[in-house]
Amino acid sequence: MSPRVRHLTEERLFDVYLAERTADPVDPPAAEHLGDCEACTARYTELVSLMDTVRREGEAEADAVFTADRLRAQQQQIARRIALVGRPARILSFPGRIVRRTITVSTSRTAPRWIAAAAAAGLFVGVAVGASYQFRWGLAPSRAGQPFLVSGASTARAARLTPVATRGGGQSDIAADDAFLSDLEIALDGPHTSELRAFDDLTPHVREVRSVR
Amino acid sequence: MNGDFRTARGGDAPAGPPADGLEPATGVVQPAGRVRRAPAQLADDSKLAIEIRALVERGEMDEARERFGDLVAIHQRRATRIAYQYLRDAADADEAVQDAFVKVFSHITTYREAWPFEVWFTRILINGCLDRRKARGRRDRWFTGDEATGADEARAAAAGPATDPERRLLARERREKIAAAVDRLDGRQRTVFMLCHYGDCTPREVSAMTGLNESTVRVHLFRAARRLRTLLGGKP
Repeated sequence: MSPRVRHLTEERLFDVYLAERTADPVDPPAAEHLGDCEACTARYTELVSLMDTVRREGEAEADAVFTADRLRAQQQQIARRIALVGRPARILSFPGRIVRRTITVSTSRTAPRWIAAAAAAGLFVGVAVGASYQFRWGLAPSRAGQPFLVSGASTARAARLTPVATRGGGQSDIAADDAFLSDLEIALDGPHTSELRAFDDLTPHVREVRSVR
Repeated sequence: MNGDFRTARGGDAPAGPPADGLEPATGVVQPAGRVRRAPAQLADDSKLAIEIRALVERGEMDEARERFGDLVAIHQRRATRIAYQYLRDAADADEAVQDAFVKVFSHITTYREAWPFEVWFTRILINGCLDRRKARGRRDRWFTGDEATGADEARAAAAGPATDPERRLLARERREKIAAAVDRLDGRQRTVFMLCHYGDCTPREVSAMTGLNESTVRVHLFRAARRLRTLLGGKP
């Protein structure tokens, strides 16, 4: 009865393969067994074939993509990029033509700049004077019974600027106003204005005002 | 798990033991079985990085830029492979690689020879790729388009230069199948697998890049391989 043969495990076969690939010393018992055992040798050959095929095909695929020309171009590209390493950041200047044009335009327009400044000043003065007039116009009604322009103004102009409420200023005008408001109240009492009743309730009546006076 | 390793040990700068020598300064990524230097020996790219750091510190920027071009040439191919496998989009991968190199140059004074330059650079690259994947995920949540993307164009271009249409189609299908299987890996498994298989890194280097324990890296690698075998049905 022949002694039972213990074949190499897959791990040991792979170790032998790795050792051979990297030119490291192979485990002597494993090497000896491989020399004697046909089954293990066949398994080992299959493993080596598979691994070599995978590597060979992968390398061939990459080499077909990265041809010598492409590698050269890549080297040049790397050289270009490396040329920028360690150098201070470059400030991009504006294109010279645009800069020149801009300068020309700005110098030729020196004179019109004064015109623009004068126009702006005029506008400012105009606005200021206008505002001043409006302010004085707003104060005028508070001066009870006084014409807007006091002394030295022409009569016609004074008449034009006198507020409407004080124009005439007599008792007849007050009576006319009262009559008008009374007519308004009568009209509000009519059948067609019931919708305005709520607003009317909020408004003081002439008679109430008059009674207060 | 999203595969982001920045918080594993903190910061962009990886901690960990210095890995052994890396690829020679020829700009060609060597396949498996490459000759590695003794662990104590500083790799050419790391020496170059130290030289550039000194130039930058002295303010000799033009000279530093010129020397950095050599460093780009060494890692560019490998970086584009990793970035492309991560992002599956040519334009995105292109930008990610450029950003990584520019970031490396900008922060070259923080580079320490305690770890290989490859580890430091790759960590910056994969973190950039992860950020882009996240940004794309957020973008895709809002925008869905049926139009052909850069990725589609890239895949079409990646079908290879074969003149036979049938072979080209088969190759394209096979690559799409593999890419889809790799994309279905768990975040960390995918990262570790890509770094190891496309980035040509050892588990120790991946450990330094990701901040994961080396044995954890091996476990992730093994699980990734097992899952890929399941997804690809044994043979791709």
